[in-house]
Amino acid sequence: MSVEDILAAESELTHLLGGQQAVVLSTRIRLARNLEGLPFPGWAKLPQRKETSDRCVTALEGLPKFRRGHVVRMGELGDRDRAVLVERHLVSKELAAGKSGAAVISRDQTVSVMVNEEDHLRIQVVKAGWHLRGTWHIAEQLDDALGGVLKMAFSDRLGYLTACPTNVGTGLRASAMVHLPGLCLAGHMDKVTRALNQDGLAVRGWLGEGTEAAGNVFQISNQQTLGLSEDAILKHLGGWIKHVVEQEWNARRKLAQEEGEKFVDRLARSLGVLRSARLLTSSEAMNMLSHLRLACDMGCLPEERRHLVDRLMIEGQPAHVQARAGQELDSDGRDRRRAAVVREALKDFPEVGPPTA
Amino acid sequence: MSKPIQCSLCEEAATVHLSQVVHGKVTKVHLCEACAQKGGATDPAVFQLADALAAATPAPTLTCPQCGFTDLDFRKRGRLGCPACWETFGEALDGLLLKVQHEPAHVGRAPAGAVPVAQLRRRLDAARLEMTAAVAGEDFEAAARLRDEIATLERQLAS
Repeated sequence: MSVEDILAAESELTHLLGGQQAVVLSTRIRLARNLEGLPFPGWAKLPQRKETSDRCVTALEGLPKFRRGHVVRMGELGDRDRAVLVERHLVSKELAAGKSGAAVISRDQTVSVMVNEEDHLRIQVVKAGWHLRGTWHIAEQLDDALGGVLKMAFSDRLGYLTACPTNVGTGLRASAMVHLPGLCLAGHMDKVTRALNQDGLAVRGWLGEGTEAAGNVFQISNQQTLGLSEDAILKHLGGWIKHVVEQEWNARRKLAQEEGEKFVDRLARSLGVLRSARLLTSSEAMNMLSHLRLACDMGCLPEERRHLVDRLMIEGQPAHVQARAGQELDSDGRDRRRAAVVREALKDFPEVGPPTA
Repeated sequence: MSKPIQCSLCEEAATVHLSQVVHGKVTKVHLCEACAQKGGATDPAVFQLADALAAATPAPTLTCPQCGFTDLDFRKRGRLGCPACWETFGEALDGLLLKVQHEPAHVGRAPAGAVPVAQLRRRLDAARLEMTAAVAGEDFEAAARLRDEIATLERQLAS
């Protein structure tokens, strides 16, 4: 079992230092693929799902990308371990909810391929920061390598065949995880969401479909997968993300300028609470960490501290808190433990100063 | 204990129960946790779907020869049974595809070794038009490039 190893390892999203990670936390590419001649997981009988799983996992394990990586089978994991994988975005809630799903995860946790989710294969590549082309390039190479050993269901007219009509064609979902405290504080988020929706982009919360946007973090992704080339999909998303990032910076600068001391006070108070609280709920932690992240971006705190804030956002989630504690905790227990972890991490944090960015 | 009510969309036990009254008619929908969250329990589409389910339970008109999946299964799940279903339900799905995807056909990558005939043909048609325009506009450099592309496309399609 390797969920402990996954937690202990230094990963792309929890330990990557530097880089241009203000506003865009991470870039993600997902490709949906299916094997020819086997029913989709939702309709397949257990032996067929097992055959799919065996064939896919064997093929994946043979690829250089997954050397010294992890293979996790949902049926062999407890609730908490599965929740940890969901919180780290390595598997979806849907995969974690079933027994016959598996995931093959690269050593650095940038690549995870889900087997027997809605489709036979869901290739996922994630990079910290905004790296659309680089992330796509990894997914493309992996897709080619897998296509060399597994015969994929493909139709001349409809492209890659998927279980759901919303994924057919390229099977590509490209997304950016963005941190938008400026637009949220300024009350512009509804307007931005509407504009994105109208131009074919979806806006979701922190853990994807049907989740809330805790900590002002949103996931923006393409919806159309048919009739557009991969390149066109990436360009469309890329153009919008660039625009959203600009709008976010404008909102932040305007807020800092108009609010002056009040702006700094808000960020400083959040640091104060995080450094002294004895009980900290998950959503409270997320919202205050969002302020710390904003402070790092704006030069109110040293920029090199930002990665620690990002790590706390991931490790402050309920299953992570319990996994670190090595035991099941009730709600109060989790809040107490979370507060302790955050206090310890922030104990030598400098004070919040005026913005310089 | 009585048998739990099944979710209207899948086979899990339903835990979310919704009632809606329209024109004095009561519609009840039972959903499992996952479907309720996914569909958004307040989504009117859930009721439309329930209406559709309640209104007509006729015999299936299409069955996939490969996996036994029927058009009724699709209506219930919104997902297909196997890759061959796309062939079986092809025409029936075209309207839905246009609605959710706005385009009828794939443009993009193909697995190594697969010749994307329809895509090549579309490109060939476009290239021929572009060449006519280039010649008319006396852009002979572009016309020559397009002529080479057309030749390559014709060769790929012939093979």
